[in-house]
Amino acid sequence: MKKCIACGMPMKEADEFAMGDITKDYCVHCARPDGSMQSYDEKLESLTGFIIKTQGFDLKAARETARTMMSKLPAWSQIK
Amino acid sequence: MNGSKRSDQKEETRKKLIKTALGQFVKDGILTAKTADIAAAAGVAHGTLFVHFSTRESLLTEVILEFGQKISSRIHELEAGAATMHDILEAHINGLIEYESFYTKLVVEGPLLPAEARHEMVMIQSAISYHLSRTAQREIEAGRIRNIPLHLLFNTWIGLIHYYLVNRELFTSGGSVLARHKDELLEHFINLISL
Repeated sequence: MKKCIACGMPMKEADEFAMGDITKDYCVHCARPDGSMQSYDEKLESLTGFIIKTQGFDLKAARETARTMMSKLPAWSQIK
Repeated sequence: MNGSKRSDQKEETRKKLIKTALGQFVKDGILTAKTADIAAAAGVAHGTLFVHFSTRESLLTEVILEFGQKISSRIHELEAGAATMHDILEAHINGLIEYESFYTKLVVEGPLLPAEARHEMVMIQSAISYHLSRTAQREIEAGRIRNIPLHLLFNTWIGLIHYYLVNRELFTSGGSVLARHKDELLEHFINLISL
């Protein structure tokens, strides 16, 4: 099964892929409205916000978690 | 031996070490289990373990990663369908039952583990909270469950599960504490959040 290169989410159904396009390597949550992939900073910000919303972490811990998550993903592994 | 056969064997040894390490962490504790004992239990030389994992920490991280993937993949599959909160929570608790001894050690020893291992644990909870939140959001919108902040919904559930795990000797005289109390905990939590 394909995994989103930007957030790691497994992608199986077409509606999980950006723009419903199964040839894309990133998921619907990592796409901008125009279908292009979010930048590192955009993803870091949205992931941090998502962690706060779903787990209630403090901002610093949430950002650290988001950064660690992203460092393991192909789209961002070169970025420190 | 040809290259592909050798790489198959290497992969097999790696898997065996991960599986054996999990058992040894349960038996001796995550912080205190010795790599020499893990290697001996897996039937390989101590040095071989370090060919596959450069440090004890990296072996531990792989064990946690393996456990995390197993536990979150089933929940992901369910959530991709039209699962209810009950389905998701049941899949979560069933996954935990399968790895209960190891998970309990992770919860109990968690704050003392190396940073990398703690990060992996947070990653696992994040994957679970992601699926739980998406399902909860759907059910809130459908008017089936209360409009509870998603982080409190998740933390209340995890808090309940962890309380039973760390105090298992109070809630069971042997065997899996989650298997014994699963139905009661699920029913209670669903009642708590349902409209």
